[in-house]
Amino acid sequence: MNKPTLAPVAVLLVVLAVVPAFAANTTINFLVSALIVTLAAQGWNLLGGFCGPFSFGHAAFFGTGAYVTAVLQSRYGVNAWAGFAAGIAAGAVVGGAIGWLSFRAGLRGSYFALITLAFAEVFRIVANAVPLTGGATGLLLKLDVRPANFQFASRAAFAWIALGCVVAVLALSIAIARSRLGAQFAAVRENEDAARALGIDVLATKLRAICLSGAVTAAAGGLYAQYFLYLDANIAYGSWISVEALLAVIVGGIGTPAGPLFGALALHALGEATKLFAGAITGIDLVLFGLILVGAIAFAPAGIAGSLHSLSARWRR
Amino acid sequence: MRFPSISRRAALRGAAATSLLAAPSILRAQPASVKLGILQPVTGALAQDGELGRLGAQLAIEAINAAGGIKSLGGAKIEMVFADARSNPEAATQEVERLQAEGVAAIVGGFASPICLAASQAAARYNLPYIVDVGVADSIVDRGLANTFRFAPGFGMFTSVAISNLAKLNEAAGKPIKTVVLVHEDGLFGAGLAKLMNTELPKIGLQVLETISHPTPARDMANVALRIRALNPDLVIPSSYYNEFVLLARTMQQQRIRPKGIYAVLNGAASNYRFVKEFPEAAANVMDCNHWYHPTNPLALAVKKQVEAAGKVMAYNVPLNYSCVGLAADAIEHAASVDRAKIITALGASTFAGHIMPYNATKFVGGQNQGAAPVNLQVQGSDIKVIFPAGFADAKPVFPVPA
Repeated sequence: MNKPTLAPVAVLLVVLAVVPAFAANTTINFLVSALIVTLAAQGWNLLGGFCGPFSFGHAAFFGTGAYVTAVLQSRYGVNAWAGFAAGIAAGAVVGGAIGWLSFRAGLRGSYFALITLAFAEVFRIVANAVPLTGGATGLLLKLDVRPANFQFASRAAFAWIALGCVVAVLALSIAIARSRLGAQFAAVRENEDAARALGIDVLATKLRAICLSGAVTAAAGGLYAQYFLYLDANIAYGSWISVEALLAVIVGGIGTPAGPLFGALALHALGEATKLFAGAITGIDLVLFGLILVGAIAFAPAGIAGSLHSLSARWRR
Repeated sequence: MRFPSISRRAALRGAAATSLLAAPSILRAQPASVKLGILQPVTGALAQDGELGRLGAQLAIEAINAAGGIKSLGGAKIEMVFADARSNPEAATQEVERLQAEGVAAIVGGFASPICLAASQAAARYNLPYIVDVGVADSIVDRGLANTFRFAPGFGMFTSVAISNLAKLNEAAGKPIKTVVLVHEDGLFGAGLAKLMNTELPKIGLQVLETISHPTPARDMANVALRIRALNPDLVIPSSYYNEFVLLARTMQQQRIRPKGIYAVLNGAASNYRFVKEFPEAAANVMDCNHWYHPTNPLALAVKKQVEAAGKVMAYNVPLNYSCVGLAADAIEHAASVDRAKIITALGASTFAGHIMPYNATKFVGGQNQGAAPVNLQVQGSDIKVIFPAGFADAKPVFPVPA
């Protein structure tokens, strides 16, 4: 990553850090949702963007993080922060398990995408049926506003925690992109056979990517559970989060550390803005949202980060 | 030292994009009016129900304002602040934040249980009174949230009334029903209902042959219908949302599967005029235990006329929201203030009887209206009639259904 794209990211992060101190709760609410999607998308990017395998089922990790955080608290009385940490670990474990099963079988491309989709669906159906997750009734975390409980009276505190997670993963992504591991990811992404010929353990590399990816997306799920305090199978394992994680990365710039942040913020801002300006017509925001999305993908296939990069390159000449 | 002009430019772009986030919501200055938040899902899977709920709330607000508004506040008019729950709990939570920012005195609505659960909890953070219109999950009022009130009956009351009425119905007809198949959607309400039915039906001497679940949305109910044919039960008890039940009823009609009765509980379609109008043969004689307007209350009939004049149908969402808005206005009237704590106290002590449901005056215990009760309905001809309880009934049950 070079300086021209790093500067707007830094400015954006500073703005995001300052906004919650002054903004209305609705704005903060918007920010938190966007940041949660950003985090999920960052997780997706670590696997799909950096290492190659396209997943259509990141809901599997998101839901695992959310459910582990919520179930440990509501059923076993575990502290919320510990539950959150356990959720992240569980995401990595589930990532490792799905990865081991599918990568070992040599599933690539659309086959891998389909198997992840299937895993997420299986998880959704199981979560909808077993009593541990509350079945179809869902899980309601008790409203008990104490910082020790990972619940805050001010929405801003939560926004800062979400932002902290996003920044941490951003730093991790940049570090990985510059590291030996990042080079291995890139090699596997570009050509698996060539990578293998170079002596890279492809399976181990992909497993590292999916474990990291699962953990980060699970963190998004844990944050979601703590913020909204309500979960059911369709929220946790529904395809909406798989799609949002994937879209945010594609719109923001696939394989770039800052892409998920740009993408998630832009998509959510567009959705909110169209709702604000055309709120009278029910559902018009979703229609406009779709149109803008098609336009963005048609005219900026490299995503926002990619466009910024090429614009800046043109400027410099 | 060279300042990279590019990064500044790109930075400005970033800043411009984020400044969008801080755009303040536009507040209209109408100091005399009382803002009432109406939360309904008008986009997404539940849009049809949400629109009807909005209509009910709107008619009630118009009626209250035409009658002079809130008198204890000098005739203050009620102003509707509408929020779209977009058929999911997350959007509902966000809309509650917006309603809070707009300074509403109370929120009415929610429709689906997950939306009500999440939205009422979000409102509880601000001690914002929340009146649940439909959501039947018992957990809505079991959480000890002081701000949450449910005007309509909950799940527990529905099942016990439905089962005792079924026993009465069966006995009065000479016990033609011995076996039952349960069909339910696999979401919050269907699954819970099926579980309860499985334990309660054997107690009234009915055997549950099988419990069949299906997802929402489901595009094809042929397999369910075929399974019902194979099991050949005396009674089918479906708990599904609108589209799925319509599909099931039509498929059963096409396949000539004719049990002695279809007895729905809280069904999305069995008590919906649209279904009766569009598929009269499939709908014929279907029974349901559900919310319904008071069939002989003149105000209810006047509202029904208004709704039909607007080209809509009088589904239960309309009278429930009409009544819930009335309840909110009544509480504000008694509180003589838009202070939230005072409104909550007034709701807790409410004895509101100006509603259009077949209920007694409101009496809240732990947030649940004890005056509420479900009714049994049956599609008879082109109309939906109340068959139980006798005090409100406008028809006799047709049971067992003639083959």
